[in-house]
Amino acid sequence: MRLFSRGCESRQAAYLAGADRLGARERLALEVHAGSCTECADALRNGRPVDTALRGAFASLRERRTIVAPGRVRLAVGSVVARPNPWERAPRVFGRLAEVSVMVGVTLLAVGTSFEPPSAPSSSLPVTQTMAQERSRGQAPLDEIDYLRWVRLVKSNDTPTVSTATRLLMGAFDSDPVEIQKTPSPRF
Amino acid sequence: MKTERDPATGDARSDHDLVYAARDGDTVAFDALFYRYRDGIFRLGLAITKDPSSAEEIVLDTFARAHRALARLEPDDSLRPWLYRVAVNLSYNRRPRKNVVLSSLDEAADVAMANEDGSPSHVAEKAELRRLVLGAVEELGPKHRLVVVLHYLNGLNLTEIAEVVDCPVGTVKSRLHYALRRLRTHLAAHPELGIEPPRSLLATGFRAPKPITAPLPLEDK
Ligand SMILES: [Zn+2]
Repeated sequence: MRLFSRGCESRQAAYLAGADRLGARERLALEVHAGSCTECADALRNGRPVDTALRGAFASLRERRTIVAPGRVRLAVGSVVARPNPWERAPRVFGRLAEVSVMVGVTLLAVGTSFEPPSAPSSSLPVTQTMAQERSRGQAPLDEIDYLRWVRLVKSNDTPTVSTATRLLMGAFDSDPVEIQKTPSPRF
Repeated sequence: MKTERDPATGDARSDHDLVYAARDGDTVAFDALFYRYRDGIFRLGLAITKDPSSAEEIVLDTFARAHRALARLEPDDSLRPWLYRVAVNLSYNRRPRKNVVLSSLDEAADVAMANEDGSPSHVAEKAELRRLVLGAVEELGPKHRLVVVLHYLNGLNLTEIAEVVDCPVGTVKSRLHYALRRLRTHLAAHPELGIEPPRSLLATGFRAPKPITAPLPLEDK
């Protein structure tokens, strides 16, 4: 059953005047036509409140929102690399841990070795120790060669050699020499 | 081409620029497109399926298709009608989920109206008018209802609707005209809307149904 009979050709435009947002010229032409066409005048008059009612009714639906995130789309299309099962990663993790442990051990060994006090030649160390001990006691060694060394050491009290040796033995080099400390660091 | 600044991302780039960037693997650009059209597609899916969960899945499916189509999507084409066409097809091809009671358009709107300001009588009056109008829209056939929804809910103009439903603009005009006349006939029964019945129907003895004088409680639908 046809609900509507065919009428004026401009009637459609008159109904759609609100929806179609006619230009000023078209709208004017339609209104001029409606002045002499009751059908179009009726359509213009009643099309507007229908349009308004629809806009008002859909206004609340236009407030509906969703919180779906775009990450779910990427997951769906598989562009995000799936996170592997942590148990599957365990052997790799332990292997890597072992490598790191070995590296740390080797590094510590190397560093520790480099900080050991320099070992003096085995032949001179006992001599120096003896001379220093004897000097500190103020006694001359009985051995001839040692005696000559002792005399030279006693006479040249302030020689850096003796001083260095003594200070070395007394642990005076536990801190850096003053000259180094005075040097300004470029970092500051 | 749309250039409005998206409130979620603040991205003012046009669809054209975002599509180009997304094609080059720019995920920020893809996300900006998603946030720009997410709600519109959700509402369209909701208006057709009446099921919020289905509408969310339609949003995801639509953008999943867009993501896959990026390489062959022409950035000079208008993205908006393309997305809505995909969403319409997905919505109509979707089977209703089992054990889900589908709500009406009006119930979907009720959720959004829950926080509306105003006196209780004013809110009730607006809710009643909305119920009348959306009830009348639901009585339209699918083709006519779709044109009304795309125009009044999604704000598409007649040319864009023609792209979405893949038919000439003249056909869209004809469908919208028919829908508006039919709605006028339905709504003329309610004098508070100030709509007269079509003269052609008055001439055939059309009698407006008894108008509703007091707002009905929403639960009585
Ligand atoms: Zn006319």
